[in-house]
Amino acid sequence: MSQTIFAPWDDPNEKPLIRFENVTKKFGEFVAIDDLSLDIYTQEFFALLGPSGCGKTTMMRMLAGFENPTRGTIELSGQNIVPVPPNKRAVNMMFQSYALFPHLSVRENIAFGLKRDKMDKERIEARVAEMLKLTRLEKFAQRKPHQISGGQRQRVALARSLAKAPKLLLLDEPLGALDKKLRQDTQFELMDIQESTGTTFVIVTHDQEEAMTVASRVAVMDEGRIIQVATPANIYEYPNSVYVADFIGDVNILEGRAKPVGEDRYEVLWHEGVAPVTATSSAPFSDGQTAHLAIRPEKIAISTDRPDNADNAMEGKVLDIAYLGNLSTYHVGLPGGQVIKAQTANTRRIARRDITWEDPVWISWSATAGVLLAE
Amino acid sequence: MLMRRALLIAVPYLWLLLLFLVPFLIVFKISLSDIALAIPPYTPTFKDGIAELISQLDFENFVFLASDDLYWKAYLSSLQIAALSTFMTLLVGYPIAYGMARAPEEWRPTLMMLVILPFWTSFLIRVYAWMGILSSEGLLNQFLMWLGLIGEPLTILNTNVAVYIGIVYTYLPFMILPIYAALDRMDESLIEAAEDLGCSRTQAFWLVTVPLSRNGIIAGCFLVFIPALGEFVIPSLLGGSGTLMIGKVLWEEFFNNRDWPVASAVAVILLLILIVPIVLFQRNQQKQAEAEA
Amino acid sequence: MNYRLMSSVAAATLMATTAVAEEVRVYNWSDYIDESLLDQFEQETGIDLVYDVFDSNEVLETKMLAGGSGYDVVVPSGTFLQRQISAGAFQKLDQSKLPNRENLWDVIEDRVSKYDPNNEYAINYMWGTTGIGVNINKVKEVLGEDAPVGSLSLIFDPANMEKLSECGVHFLDAPVEMIPAALAYLGEDPDSQDVDTIEKAEPVLAAVAPYVQKFHSSEYINALANGDICVAFGWSGDILQARDRAAEADNGVEIEYYAPKEGALMWFDNMAIPVDAPNPEGAHKFLNFIMDAQNMAKASNYVYYANGNKASQEFLEEDVIGDPAIYPDEATLENLYTTSPYDPKLQRVVTRMWTKVKSGT
Repeated sequence: MSQTIFAPWDDPNEKPLIRFENVTKKFGEFVAIDDLSLDIYTQEFFALLGPSGCGKTTMMRMLAGFENPTRGTIELSGQNIVPVPPNKRAVNMMFQSYALFPHLSVRENIAFGLKRDKMDKERIEARVAEMLKLTRLEKFAQRKPHQISGGQRQRVALARSLAKAPKLLLLDEPLGALDKKLRQDTQFELMDIQESTGTTFVIVTHDQEEAMTVASRVAVMDEGRIIQVATPANIYEYPNSVYVADFIGDVNILEGRAKPVGEDRYEVLWHEGVAPVTATSSAPFSDGQTAHLAIRPEKIAISTDRPDNADNAMEGKVLDIAYLGNLSTYHVGLPGGQVIKAQTANTRRIARRDITWEDPVWISWSATAGVLLAE
Repeated sequence: MLMRRALLIAVPYLWLLLLFLVPFLIVFKISLSDIALAIPPYTPTFKDGIAELISQLDFENFVFLASDDLYWKAYLSSLQIAALSTFMTLLVGYPIAYGMARAPEEWRPTLMMLVILPFWTSFLIRVYAWMGILSSEGLLNQFLMWLGLIGEPLTILNTNVAVYIGIVYTYLPFMILPIYAALDRMDESLIEAAEDLGCSRTQAFWLVTVPLSRNGIIAGCFLVFIPALGEFVIPSLLGGSGTLMIGKVLWEEFFNNRDWPVASAVAVILLLILIVPIVLFQRNQQKQAEAEA
Repeated sequence: MNYRLMSSVAAATLMATTAVAEEVRVYNWSDYIDESLLDQFEQETGIDLVYDVFDSNEVLETKMLAGGSGYDVVVPSGTFLQRQISAGAFQKLDQSKLPNRENLWDVIEDRVSKYDPNNEYAINYMWGTTGIGVNINKVKEVLGEDAPVGSLSLIFDPANMEKLSECGVHFLDAPVEMIPAALAYLGEDPDSQDVDTIEKAEPVLAAVAPYVQKFHSSEYINALANGDICVAFGWSGDILQARDRAAEADNGVEIEYYAPKEGALMWFDNMAIPVDAPNPEGAHKFLNFIMDAQNMAKASNYVYYANGNKASQEFLEEDVIGDPAIYPDEATLENLYTTSPYDPKLQRVVTRMWTKVKSGT
């Protein structure tokens, strides 16, 4: 490919826009953020993903300046911003509730931040017009927030937080209040806007699909720590832990003991009376060490006959079929009682499919299909 | 069904008719009568027959009121005292309401109780207590002298200052409660949004908190201003000889002068003056209800 | 004032629900009776006594002229009595039910007949003078040893009042008392019914009004006794009560009363029965009870006012009958004047003048 891939995090010479350094935040006895370090680069669309209470909102509020870390520093363009109050930071935030000023019109809401900068009138006018155009709100400029729809309000909030051209835009569950269809459209709109303005976005979300769709990199958080930071593809394909593998998408986890059988190649004894599975791993495992094989359902093939040359193959019975339109997920029961999920694309019409409930089937996958994880 | 609806609509109107319109018409009729040494002390009365009654009524008392600057001065001075004390009540009440709305959730019912608590004691006893506090030998003066801030007792009781203190104290809850209700409803993230967009704390307060509590402020101001305008008890107990308020003038017309017709004319004009803020208040309430719908 | 109205409204509602036994409702001035007399009346007659108080003639008159006050016995002062009689507010007394009437003092009855011709409508309860109460030590501190305490110049000379305002002065909130006093100070006829003469009082009163802390008709008793004020122009008995309260409290406050040498108003508080009294029978019993020589003496001994009951005098304590501030000597009596009620037109001028004086407008 001739196009350079946007991956500043792989470039050791690149300076991060934001740097969390050993940041700890406590609320009383409760540790919200636990000795966390993280770099975010200019023009990234960075997603903080995790269940509620994982600390992602605290991270965002520390960036905005509403909370201060108990220990550690946060740098923006190489400068420690911990002592800088929220109104003096080149950071703007789009609130989950949108926090639009109900007494001001759409135009006044967007102009609010600009007026604080003592900008002259024409420039404010021009900037507001630009923002209205960007978010397609020209027709609603004179309305009050309670006179427009939820989607329009969301765009006003976005326009208002972008108006001051911040170095960093924070988005707190920006699409949480929208219905699913609108949410998907808006995701792409957000990406377009991010790209066209060149602003660095940090988004907080609990919706993994949303994070995967919009983000350049995703940080999966749990209990105040970052478990993994990687591109959406790497998070999905190479989770570094069972937690991440399980949190992102659908996965089969086979737990057992590892037994080295060659270079980077292991057998996992995962169940009495069932043949061990074979998997490759660059991470070393010692003999008898607990290992989890995480394998995505779509990496598992399903067939009526025993496949040839498969690294792993086992026989079972179809317990359940979830038809998702483009895909079908088969729940295959093994003789020992375990259930493995396998997924196939529905490239053929439904009548031609030959596997149905209670059919005996074979499932198979290659040694490289899954990831072997210690924990 | 129709009957029931008609009845439902009729009840408030009947209420208004019985408790406002009829008494007002009686007062208005007396204001058109002449003073007399009799029981009741005016003429004509209904005993004289309707025709006689109507033929004797005139606007002489209103002409009298207009011709004597005492009444205009009293109305103006009442307006001034009511306006100034409303403003002071706002200055005292707003921070209290603000503090209550920002207090931890579990404290708020207690704080609310504390605001309402004084109503459990008679209003008169509370005003009398202020006489004890403000007199030259009173608690306040003794405290200030003990602190060494003043050498001689300050004369506060029987001055306009005491009237202001009395009005602010008495009507404070009427200011606090609507403002508190407005602030309590306000989404705290609005303040954060304002700060995020470059406001200092102070700017955020003036640009966001104050405009959003505007309806509470307006409601509170009217609830204080309207009764303060006709206030009689506070100026007569705490005020001095220089305190000129229309409520007191009305009392004097009624009791000292035994001039019921002039007293009634004073009352009719007071009501007309009050109708302006009452209508404005109603309109504000209505607008607020519409905005919330 | 207002609170008294409220309390009597509350009392009236209460009475309406419990009116089973016979009762008499008396409306008297505040601090104006030995309350043991009230129990004594109930015991002797078996009638329930409802006792309510007011502190200004104006309040009483408003109730009388409104009608339906519900009271059986009320106590208006002279000029007010006269006006209310002509308004038809009272009923004639049934003399046959008042055997104790013979105890009354003809000198006083004669004077009261100015207001109540032939004494048909009222009996005199107490009488007294209107004068100056001084906290003698404070006044001397402010004005020096030769302070004119016995003269109206103490309260009508702005130079004196300016100094006295430091320690506090109260005037009665009653134009019918203050205007005659100002006229007496000017050497005019205090009982004048002439508008031009009466208007001469205004500059006198207006000149000193700024130095008056409060115009009020009852607060001065406590204020004087506590030492909150040093001069009050008020009613003799009230000032003497303040004197005794101060003595009891032993707070170092020493009060003296002076009937001004320029002339002092002599006033009479009289008991009368409203024309619509619910229980005129009981009202007569109460009047007769009050006119008992010993009962009347008991009241006077308590409130330090002279009464119109000749027979009671032998039961009066020495510090009452022997005090010239209460029972003035012949020379002082000569110096006392009485006033007549103003007609409605003049009344309006007077009240207007009074409002102007008080408010400074």
